[in-house]
Amino acid sequence: MGGLQKKKYERGSATNYITRNRARKKLMLSLPDFRRLCILKGIYPHEPKHKKKVNKGSTAPRTFYLLKDIRFLLHEPIVGKFREYKIFVRKLKKAYGKTEWSTVERLRENKPTYKLDHIIKERYPSFIDALRDIDDALCMCFLFSTFARTGKCHVQTIQLCRRLTVEWMNYVIASRSLRKVFISIKGIYYQAEVMGQLITWLVPYQFSHDHPTDVDYRVMATFTEMYTTLLGFVNFRLYHSLNLLYPPKLDAKAQAELKEEDEDDYAMNSESYLEKLSALSASLARVVSSADEEEAELDQFPDEGEDVEKMEAREKEQKQQEAQRKMFHGLKFFLNREVPRESLAFVIRCFGGEVSWDKSICIGSTYDVTDETITHHIVDRPSIDKQYINRYYIQPQWVYDCVNAKILLPVEDYFIGVTLPPHLSPFVEEREGDYVPPEKLKIMALQRGETTANDQEEDNEEEEDEEEEEEEEDDDDNADEEEDDEEEAEEKNLKEMEEQRSQGKSLQVKVTPGKVKVENPARKEQEEKAEEKRLAIMMMKKKEKYLYDKIMFGKKRKIREANKLAAKRKAHDDAEKAQKKKKKSRK
Amino acid sequence: MAAARRLKRVAASQPGFLTLKSSVNPADLVSGRRKRVNKNKKKSWNKHSDINDVEEFLEDVRHQERTTGGLLSEKTDDSLFFLDVGQPKKAEQTEAEEPVDGGKRKGKGSRPLRIDLILQHDSLVPPAKDVLAYQQPNAKKLRRIAQKAEQLAAKGVVPRRQRQLLSRRPVDRTVKKAATEANNNPDRGYYDIWGQESKDSADPWYLQQTGKKQVKRPEKLLQKPSVLPAVEVIAPGGSYNPDFFSHQALLQEAHDVEVKKQKQEDRIERQLAVNKEDKATEETVLREQVEGLVEEEDEEEEQEGASNDNEEEVVVGAIALAEKKTERQRKKEKAEKIKEQRRQADRKQTDQQQQLFQLRSIKASIKQQEQKTKTNQIKRKAKQEAEKSQPRRLGKLKFQPQDLEVQLSNELAGSLRQLKPEGSILKDRFKSLQKRNLIEPRDRAKFKRRLKVKYVEKRAFKEIA
Repeated sequence: MGGLQKKKYERGSATNYITRNRARKKLMLSLPDFRRLCILKGIYPHEPKHKKKVNKGSTAPRTFYLLKDIRFLLHEPIVGKFREYKIFVRKLKKAYGKTEWSTVERLRENKPTYKLDHIIKERYPSFIDALRDIDDALCMCFLFSTFARTGKCHVQTIQLCRRLTVEWMNYVIASRSLRKVFISIKGIYYQAEVMGQLITWLVPYQFSHDHPTDVDYRVMATFTEMYTTLLGFVNFRLYHSLNLLYPPKLDAKAQAELKEEDEDDYAMNSESYLEKLSALSASLARVVSSADEEEAELDQFPDEGEDVEKMEAREKEQKQQEAQRKMFHGLKFFLNREVPRESLAFVIRCFGGEVSWDKSICIGSTYDVTDETITHHIVDRPSIDKQYINRYYIQPQWVYDCVNAKILLPVEDYFIGVTLPPHLSPFVEEREGDYVPPEKLKIMALQRGETTANDQEEDNEEEEDEEEEEEEEDDDDNADEEEDDEEEAEEKNLKEMEEQRSQGKSLQVKVTPGKVKVENPARKEQEEKAEEKRLAIMMMKKKEKYLYDKIMFGKKRKIREANKLAAKRKAHDDAEKAQKKKKKSRK
Repeated sequence: MAAARRLKRVAASQPGFLTLKSSVNPADLVSGRRKRVNKNKKKSWNKHSDINDVEEFLEDVRHQERTTGGLLSEKTDDSLFFLDVGQPKKAEQTEAEEPVDGGKRKGKGSRPLRIDLILQHDSLVPPAKDVLAYQQPNAKKLRRIAQKAEQLAAKGVVPRRQRQLLSRRPVDRTVKKAATEANNNPDRGYYDIWGQESKDSADPWYLQQTGKKQVKRPEKLLQKPSVLPAVEVIAPGGSYNPDFFSHQALLQEAHDVEVKKQKQEDRIERQLAVNKEDKATEETVLREQVEGLVEEEDEEEEQEGASNDNEEEVVVGAIALAEKKTERQRKKEKAEKIKEQRRQADRKQTDQQQQLFQLRSIKASIKQQEQKTKTNQIKRKAKQEAEKSQPRRLGKLKFQPQDLEVQLSNELAGSLRQLKPEGSILKDRFKSLQKRNLIEPRDRAKFKRRLKVKYVEKRAFKEIA
């Protein structure tokens, strides 16, 4: 047992970590600068597994970084820029103090700045990596673009965020990649599929800001700084993938359509182009001006024989998707002034619809209310004075629900003044046996192409409603009843036989003419299958049987819960109906 | 001298003192007397000459001017008097009518405010002209200069100063662009960052030595610190127009959170609460006050009893004498010890032999143990997996999840127009960053004063207080 005694905390996890303060000293940066650097470089604090060891015996809560990460930071050129900036601020302060204005001006001109391009490249080595991390960037940019220009952050940052988000929205429109929309009480969730990646982002409602005090704006601004750079590069790449010009330009044709007269009312010359872009009503210019070559057929390679079916299925799916993307094609919308213009214009344009609004709301309206070809007028008020016959007056939820249902829903439920059906979250995916709200069931039925009789009846009156309920019940019971019937018949036969046996101890032997038993091949097959399954269950090992039972139990429980919820819902609906009836009768 | 005069004045104001003139008051009387004062100094002249009559006269004149706009004596009779022919009949009528048709309202519209009336200029004397306002300093000189300039302009001569200004080089007023564009410049350009290959054409050795080579990013940094998604979509009950059951489910969730919080608070309160028995009652207070003053006989007795017991114990607990063992006893003990050892060795051997027959049960027990470790392993793994999505402890503070955004059934808006947004997205994003371990939870830095504040009562304040 010789050798030197090993000293504590000189190996292992104690040497792999470094506290924040030590790291800061090592980099010779102030705490805010250090924090900023870490955010920009994507280096995050780490919780060690054995805190006490790392903390050299102390259990005080500290922030730890991995030592290797900090060593990596030492090579960052931006660190130098931070130091330069510190010196710049000091000099500027001094010049101000001495009221040397020429020095101030000179210093201002040579303000040290830095670029984050190399960091983006380093953090996201490939484009797909960047795309996977774009959710955060989008949320942040959309958030900052709605800030008031009141000095909570740089005005320039707000402008840049606005520009980038407008570019992004225009890309989503051009690529028709929007998939889901969900209007929540927080904000509007969108989901798009870009290059096979599902991208979700959250857009705040306009004018809904109270600035919370417990949020560190400096940290948020730093994140935004990084994300604006990222989003810009991603936008560039995406635009080029669609053959669009990158600093986006409006299509010449579309530009001509936009009304030029009252441009000056909305924005200064320098801003009007961005404003027009952000109106989202015109399409973008392409590098190769191509009218309709979008719909190039996918090449087919039918050499692999076994995949023909799959290929066909895929093709079918693709066609369906294509159809969904052009859901609003040929429809002309007009937005009344009380509806959220940007969101609706974005969604409608994503699915190929044409949209316009009153020219006093925003720049970029393409036609007036008086246009006779308008098919849908989106209104969000209880009634409207002047109505045109040849268009539907609907509430805005219709547009969103259509997008989520992927079909054009019947407009009747969404007319003015009608109580809307609930707006269901498209982000919930029900598994087998889960409770599905009846509204969703209806939509699913519509998707399958069934125009169920129920819908039409529902519009009529309540008397019919009751019938319909009975029908529904019948549907549920039918399957069970069939089985029951046959079983009952068999049982009857057996009972008779037994009775006979008990009455006369010897069976009455009698030859009766044989009946041809009608065999239902489908039923037989089913029975066989069921039998097989039963046998298989019997043959299971104890362990497997246990597991199987557990799974089955879980399924049953789920179904039971779903049934319970459904029953509850029915009770709720019934109660509401009863109330309605009461009200009617009172009238 | 002054004292003597006062004495006289006092005497004159006595009720029994008769004045010469009935209208003249005693003060006049005093001044009417011949005074023996030297008026050779300005001070004494000012003091002793009586100018009241002049002052009064002037005051009267000013008053007349103010109120009538001139001296009354200079006014014509027409402007001062009018013929009184009794009250006009019409006035009566109007008076009678006024209250009927809401004269108040009528008056309100036309009558000026009292505050305006107070502020109005009520004297008839016009305000004095500010003479300086109409005068221009150096007017003559300036006029001359202007005349000269006109003459020169007519001749076509450009003055020297203007010539100099014109000959000056125009200054480049365009704002110089900074050496590099700021990062948040709204018009900044982007390029294809992933398309181009890195242009490290130079010698790698040179780059490394000069510190221009980019250091490779550690592989581990490509992993995300949490498995949580960047954007967590709100539960279906958070829809602006939710389905009844999902809304109820969300409310239930929020309720549970709130109940949990409440419970914790209650627990802390309970722990902090003062025990009822610890509180001082009247009885205990009294006892404490009387402590040592009243002798209690019982206690003494008890004490005596206790002392007796102690004595007995002392007697019992005396030192026990250890007796020496004999040789025989030792031998016996040793033999017993050896015997015991042998017995145990035998037992061990038989046990081992028996184990041969217990192989099956041993196997079973081993299996059981293995099973146990396996389940433990699975549990541990599951726990680790679950912890991956949990926020870690990264600093002094623990992560505090945000309050659930919920709208009660009566808060829900019927339409999109009436929707009131709930919660703040900024806060939501911030908490999301914390939850994903990207930043550590932090408190707002507290403002610390570097220098002490000294409070001083000002004199003005002192006088009041």
